[in-house]
Amino acid sequence: MTTVLAPVAGAALALRAVPDPVFSQGLVGPGLAIEPVREPGRAVAPIAGTIVKLHPHAFVVVGDDGRGVLVHLGIDTVQLRGEGFEVLASEGDRVEAGQPVVAWNPAEVEAGGRCPVCPVVALDAVAEAVTRIADGPVDTGDELFVWT
Amino acid sequence: MAQRQITVESEVGLHARPAATFVQTAAKASLDVTVAKQGGQPVNAKSILAVLALDVRQGDTVVIEAEGEGADELLDALALIASAP
Repeated sequence: MTTVLAPVAGAALALRAVPDPVFSQGLVGPGLAIEPVREPGRAVAPIAGTIVKLHPHAFVVVGDDGRGVLVHLGIDTVQLRGEGFEVLASEGDRVEAGQPVVAWNPAEVEAGGRCPVCPVVALDAVAEAVTRIADGPVDTGDELFVWT
Repeated sequence: MAQRQITVESEVGLHARPAATFVQTAAKASLDVTVAKQGGQPVNAKSILAVLALDVRQGDTVVIEAEGEGADELLDALALIASAP
């Protein structure tokens, strides 16, 4: 069982509310999304493990059991090519759950015309394996969902 | 073993939408399918984690392989997804 933490503060939403069909239709995997608070913040690792992929706008942490969680900071933010994001860790780093990985500003993403909502996805999981914990407001590091 | 070599044309590489579509298509098949960067270790093409971690960028060449009945049709479908701009 893996407890997945909120990588950012905001309001927990169902993935289907994300304005990108890749996430809302569960094509990447099941999970939840967070409508982030519109202020500068640091996105943290949702689980303990190794950062196997680190882009400024998205990262994947894999736990010791091989389970990977994707955190995507905003929608279509790959187009920003890292502008407005500061990477605070390195690929291959071991991180604790709750450890800062990327600094960013959701307000800036929104001002640039993009949606700052953050999908948090259990990779290679079936939908039934994910049970929502958070409903409504979450702080960074709060429990978001359980992956059984 | 059927094989295709494809150059990835998508601006974002094999991430996000192309990666999800690629893995979903591979996962529907009963065959084992692998994808590798040219010269690299093959990974399970049915795993979104494995495909995202492979980090295929625009312009990279990938090798996809499958064996068994329907391998050619499956690889053709995957090649189409991977090569789409």
